[in-house]
Amino acid sequence: MATRETVGAATERRIGRVLIAVTYLSVGLLTTGVGLLLAAGVSPLAGGPGLDLATIGSGIAALDPAGFLWLGLLAVIAAPISRVVLAAFAYARTDDWQMVAVAVAILAIIAIGIATAGTATF
Amino acid sequence: MIVGLLMLAGGAVTGLFGSLLGLGGGVLIVPLLTLGFGLPLREAVGVSLVCVIMTSSAAAGVYLERHVANLRLGMTLELFTALGALVGGSIAFLLDDRLISLLFAGLLGYVSLTMARTRPAVTLDAAELAVAPAEDHARPTMLDRLSGDRYRIRNLGRGVVGAVGAGVASALLGIGGGIVKVPLMHLVMGVPLRVATATSNLMIGITAAASTVIYVIHGGIDPYVAGPTAIGVFLGATAGSRLGHRVDLGLLRVLFVIVLGYTAIQMSLRVIG
Repeated sequence: MATRETVGAATERRIGRVLIAVTYLSVGLLTTGVGLLLAAGVSPLAGGPGLDLATIGSGIAALDPAGFLWLGLLAVIAAPISRVVLAAFAYARTDDWQMVAVAVAILAIIAIGIATAGTATF
Repeated sequence: MIVGLLMLAGGAVTGLFGSLLGLGGGVLIVPLLTLGFGLPLREAVGVSLVCVIMTSSAAAGVYLERHVANLRLGMTLELFTALGALVGGSIAFLLDDRLISLLFAGLLGYVSLTMARTRPAVTLDAAELAVAPAEDHARPTMLDRLSGDRYRIRNLGRGVVGAVGAGVASALLGIGGGIVKVPLMHLVMGVPLRVATATSNLMIGITAAASTVIYVIHGGIDPYVAGPTAIGVFLGATAGSRLGHRVDLGLLRVLFVIVLGYTAIQMSLRVIG
């Protein structure tokens, strides 16, 4: 039977690989978006559109730079969050509920940030 | 097109400098975008946070694969850096631009002075790593569980307070906060320098992500600016990690101190003007 330490090291390697994979995915999406932006001759200082989740898919289908750029940016933000989610599952498998609680609390803070920013007016 | 290429090149230079000198790119990206491209400060901070997440995620992935970072300690502390980032990200949109510029100028001045006094890094050996081994308790305490195989964590309370401060600074100024977290873990909490650096890198991602979502929702991130800058920073940081051993860091450090000092003055002038 694997020891707790061995399970931890293997899990950390797996989490590390996911983190790297998501980062390279985001680099690919952003590079495509920047390439399309430059090819279209649009200045970055022209001001890009804000985030609209509903239009990302259609933007990508239409080879709109903003679609690729926003998906890439969301992937950038998702990378560390996915690391915390994976760690939560890994700690749950080893019955380390204290660390599961820490991971859930981190995700809750991010969720609170989204909720409060979405409702606040400045 | 030229502006896009300049932004890419500027990002690459900041990523290269940051990587060679062991700094996150954040401290350079904000001045690049505000002074170089005339972007509003808050928008530059939002873009900088994206770049910081990107470079830290790639590095943190490698650190985790090699089992250098202390994941348990990193996650415990990032709970508090994320809390600080939530507060910082929320008040960033309430503060006057000039106050944030002043804070940033202060940060640049501090980093510049610190780098001017820094001595060459000393390689840690096995003896240093084994200074304070974890104690053998029948029931492991919280500190035991956060400690590594060959070192024992101390001063967790001070670490938590410092982590909240690092989170606020990260969200307000668009930096990774390693400049606070590494000394905090190494000097205050007794974490070996190599582990502290790796663990800080791990924490940067979630700290910056907590405030970046707030910037995104408030329209504080322009994808047309963030894209080329982030790609440039990523390429520069990747090149820097491979060139590090071939570059005269002494000369680079002097040049960097001058650039930071000059940038601090320019940021201060924005407050006055």
